[in-house]
Amino acid sequence: MSAEPATPRPASARAREFRRILAEMLKIDRVRGGLVVAADGLVITSSLPRTVAVEPLAALAATLGRELEVGADRLKRTPFHTALFSADDGTVFLGSSPVGFVVVLGDREVNVGLVQWALRKALATLEGAWGPQSQVPATPEDI
Amino acid sequence: MGLLRLLSRIWDAITSFTRPPNAATLFRRADLYRQEGRFEEAAELVAQGLRQAPNNGVGHLLSAYLHLAFRQIGPAKSEFQAVLGLDPYHPRALLGLAKIALEERDLAACRPFLDKALQYYPDFPEAKALQDMVSSWTVTPMAAGQRPVYAGPPIQVEKLKPPAGGREFVLTQADGTLVFSQQGDKDAEDLAGHVTQVYRIASATLQRAGLGALRRGIVQAATETTFFRTNDRLILALSFPQDVKVGFGLLETDKLWTNSLRELGVRA
Repeated sequence: MSAEPATPRPASARAREFRRILAEMLKIDRVRGGLVVAADGLVITSSLPRTVAVEPLAALAATLGRELEVGADRLKRTPFHTALFSADDGTVFLGSSPVGFVVVLGDREVNVGLVQWALRKALATLEGAWGPQSQVPATPEDI
Repeated sequence: MGLLRLLSRIWDAITSFTRPPNAATLFRRADLYRQEGRFEEAAELVAQGLRQAPNNGVGHLLSAYLHLAFRQIGPAKSEFQAVLGLDPYHPRALLGLAKIALEERDLAACRPFLDKALQYYPDFPEAKALQDMVSSWTVTPMAAGQRPVYAGPPIQVEKLKPPAGGREFVLTQADGTLVFSQQGDKDAEDLAGHVTQVYRIASATLQRAGLGALRRGIVQAATETTFFRTNDRLILALSFPQDVKVGFGLLETDKLWTNSLRELGVRA
């Protein structure tokens, strides 16, 4: 069970970082909830509407994230960074990071571009806690 | 006697600061680290604990979780199996193996793990969510040439030409049947399998979040962006180079979707 420890910041800062990142995402207009879930389905932090049970959603979101990772690998594609899936009543956003997946729920009026941009910023911050930061466009319009 | 007991307790308290922690303490601490996303430190403690107590189920379970967190699937599988060797009905180990089977697209292996976990622990929300999701899926044979074959109206290939820059265009039915692909047979089947699986899991996730049925998806990777369009029966996926503008990708995907429905004689 070896992993390359590339932690420029104290590791204890991670838990706070996850909570801060989720809190930032929740400030976006029309975002209804979100969670950070490890690849094994462990919920690291969450804030969801009362009508949505956290464990089942986390299990499915982690399974979706893993399919996107494994599928890309199987098809010899590069790993996914972000994904979104829209339905009649809202959108699920998913971001991949070394710790697992950041999941954001938006309602049908959510500004998709803004959430995607904020998610990429959040993922870059998370990557910073593990290793080198990736490039994020300066504004949502640049995506 | 009372004094001796008191002295003994004081001595125990003093030496507890210098004694190495026992396996249970190591696993407890590791679990706390894991819950904070401090996987490397947790893994180190679990390894230490398992050296002290090689047959500890908690230790093997934590080890399995941490392997999964590091995306080390083979070792995670072995550790979940080690847990089941100690407790054949351990629900978390059964769920772990079910998830791995799902990743390996081995639905026939996945279902019994979930059924067994829920047989003894019916109030297990994660296992129930996955069981609900896979219960409607058909078991698709993996061997090439044994997949369900598209039996709908014939398709005029020239009418389903992807736009400039578009690639890996694939059209499948919701049950995984490949309807049309821009690529060769083997790659097309792999791509169709992935697209179907993403559709199924994303649909279940949206339903669970109370947002309704999946209509569109966008998956952005380092070298390409893939657009999904779907109704309850058909799934279309089309990829573009990574620098494609999302608006352009959506527009072109919609055009191809409309053409595909027209070709198949399906109403939007």
